Amino acid sequence: MTEQIDLTVDFAGIMLANPVLTASGTCGYADELTEFMDVAGLGGVVTKSITLAPRKGNPTPRIVETDAGMLNAIGLANIGLERFVSEKIPVLQRLGTAVFVNVAGQMIEDYVAVAERLAQEKVVSGLELNISCPNVKQGGISFGTDPTLIREIIGAVKKVCGDKPLIVKLTPTVTDISATARAAVEAGADALSMVNTFTAMVIDIETRRPVLANRTGGLSGPAIKPIAVYLVNRVYQEVAKPAGIPILGGGGIRNATDAVEFMIAGASAVTIGTATFIQPNTALHIIDGIRQYCTRKGIRSVAELTGTLR
Amino acid sequence: MENGVAVRHKGVFTAEVLSNQQIRECYYRLNLVLDPIGSRFFEHVVPGQFLEIDLSGLSLPPERHIPAELRDIAARQVLLRRPFSFSDVVTTPTQDGPCVKLEIVYCVLGPATLRMMTLKSGDVLSLIGPLGNGFKIFQTLKLAVLIAGGMGAPPLLHLGGYLRRHFPAVETICFAGARSCEDLPFTLKIGNLTGLVVDEFDTLGVASQVATDDGSAGFKGFVTDCVRHWLENHTIKPEETMIFACGPEPMLAGAARLAADFGLACQVSMERMMACGIGLCQSCAIEVNKGKADETEYKLCCKDGPVFDSRNVIFQVQP
Ligand SMILES: Cc1cc2nc3c(=O)[nH]c(=O)nc-3n(C[C@H](O)[C@H](O)[C@H](O)COP(=O)(O)OP(=O)(O)OC[C@H]3O[C@@H](n4cnc5c(N)ncnc54)[C@H](O)[C@@H]3O)c2cc1C
Ligand SMILES: Cc1cc2nc3c(=O)[nH]c(=O)nc-3n(C[C@H](O)[C@H](O)[C@H](O)COP(=O)(O)O)c2cc1C
Ligand code: FES
Repeated sequence: MTEQIDLTVDFAGIMLANPVLTASGTCGYADELTEFMDVAGLGGVVTKSITLAPRKGNPTPRIVETDAGMLNAIGLANIGLERFVSEKIPVLQRLGTAVFVNVAGQMIEDYVAVAERLAQEKVVSGLELNISCPNVKQGGISFGTDPTLIREIIGAVKKVCGDKPLIVKLTPTVTDISATARAAVEAGADALSMVNTFTAMVIDIETRRPVLANRTGGLSGPAIKPIAVYLVNRVYQEVAKPAGIPILGGGGIRNATDAVEFMIAGASAVTIGTATFIQPNTALHIIDGIRQYCTRKGIRSVAELTGTLR
Repeated sequence: MENGVAVRHKGVFTAEVLSNQQIRECYYRLNLVLDPIGSRFFEHVVPGQFLEIDLSGLSLPPERHIPAELRDIAARQVLLRRPFSFSDVVTTPTQDGPCVKLEIVYCVLGPATLRMMTLKSGDVLSLIGPLGNGFKIFQTLKLAVLIAGGMGAPPLLHLGGYLRRHFPAVETICFAGARSCEDLPFTLKIGNLTGLVVDEFDTLGVASQVATDDGSAGFKGFVTDCVRHWLENHTIKPEETMIFACGPEPMLAGAARLAADFGLACQVSMERMMACGIGLCQSCAIEVNKGKADETEYKLCCKDGPVFDSRNVIFQVQP
């Protein structure tokens, strides 16, 4: 006999069936996942980053495995706003789960144009602003590391989001993540998403060249988990909790224990990225595991877990 | 999709190891029997498709079995699944549906394949498949020219057997090449009429020839040069002929050039580093011509490939 556990969470005004989402760039446009799992069982999906114009992405190798992790330098390869709206939105409507679209760009105007168009789509629950992709030289990292630029871009995008919550995805590759988080919140972010990948490099000692064609890439997977947990907790204490806004936490989550750690640290919901590559339905297993943890601990509603670090 | 539940033709399943034998040097042959779910997925598999195996739970072989040059990289943990093609697929109907047995030929060259050496009868693995698009066989096909470079052999063995079984009228010849004799994942023997042949193809009733860069077995030189020589000395009808190539990228580029020179169609099976193998991550990009002049785009090796029409592929390395 299991007691009914309330797994729903109110995430920046969006009711999620449970707190487990698939991370941007690790579940395609979400339609690919339907071949391997029942997507409707998820709390939500976050799509691949969408840019105004289609992007081919970087040359290969785009990934390399490391100890307990992997580096990627995909280069924001995506079909562009127009095709996303015409080809993918209709598919997303049938998923039966909350859809967050990740938005990226090279210039503020790009972000605004994409956000403005997507904000009109009913199926889109919210937007996740990728100001942290470490791979695009002109935009990406410079937006995400500079509080002044963060204020500017979020101020501009927020104006066109309508009633869709704006989630800002922070880069962990900064000296003071609370400063960038604060800038995002002050400029109108409705939620924070963290962490994106950590900039890293792997060298082939035979050729003395970096393995990735892009030279550097973003580190994800179990290797980053303890750092990500720490950063979530820090931003929760210093920024998110005082401001009353939720955190979408992730980085290296493989199982329910990892996910619960993030929630205790301060995340209201979690994202599963690299782990999906190894086991496509990891996220569903994690939901079951969270339910079991709640039962075992006598927690009636999973939302009570957030920020309970002692 | 019905009520949000897709009818699945591929997915995650388990397989039990039947045997795992060393063929020669670094090459091993792994035989698996798929569970009922996997057997159903694999009932209609075609040569050139592949699967992803989770090898992360395996431990390393004893140090004395690890080649000295691999000792450092052996220590690296395995996180991601690894893609493998198959060299043979046998389906047996049973009362409870089909039962599929697979054969994989693998080369030990890194942390995951080193761990595969330890697999023994009864071990259970998690697999995802069948993935990607395999070789296409057109009704007009009369002559199939197979070019296998080094580790590129497994899917072509499967193709050879498949053609014999389903297209017995198609004449098939396989050219197997490698840097040297030890790098050929085959058993060689002296043929009846010709020189060295590949035992595995001979058993299938498929003619074969061997080429090594250093001349340690068969024709001395690149396998594509061996094929060129053969094509020059045979009268063939281009519209009835197809080249099927699998191997390192320079060899595939060579096969593409050869095909262009002789006006033949050619399908190449490509390889890329893959994080997911199922179209989620965009790591396995292959640059292809878009049709319009000078315009290219990236396709996914795991989803759109791994088999491509050689005319469309922009190879990263030249022959
Ligand atoms: C569609 C497909 C089918 C394959 N079929 C077979 C097969 O039938 N038998 C077999 O032995 N191998 C096959 N491979 C290659 C196999 O996946 C790799 O050898 C394996 O992943 C190596 O893992 P590892 O940890 O032992 O070595 P790693 O340390 O991961 O790799 C060792 C070396 O091989 C190179 N390498 C690894 N994977 C790839 C790849 N996908 N593309 C290009 N280079 C790579 C690396 O750059 C490195 O230099 C296939 C690959 C693909 C993409
Ligand atoms: C192959 C790959 C592609 C990714 N692409 C994107 C992307 O397009 N946009 C984005 O905001 N994050 C992207 N990410 C980052 C993930 O969403 C996630 O934040 C990160 O991988 C950490 O989580 P994980 O360790 O669970 O994978 C990508 C990650 C990987 C591994
Ligand atoms: S390997 Fe992930 S998309 Fe091809």
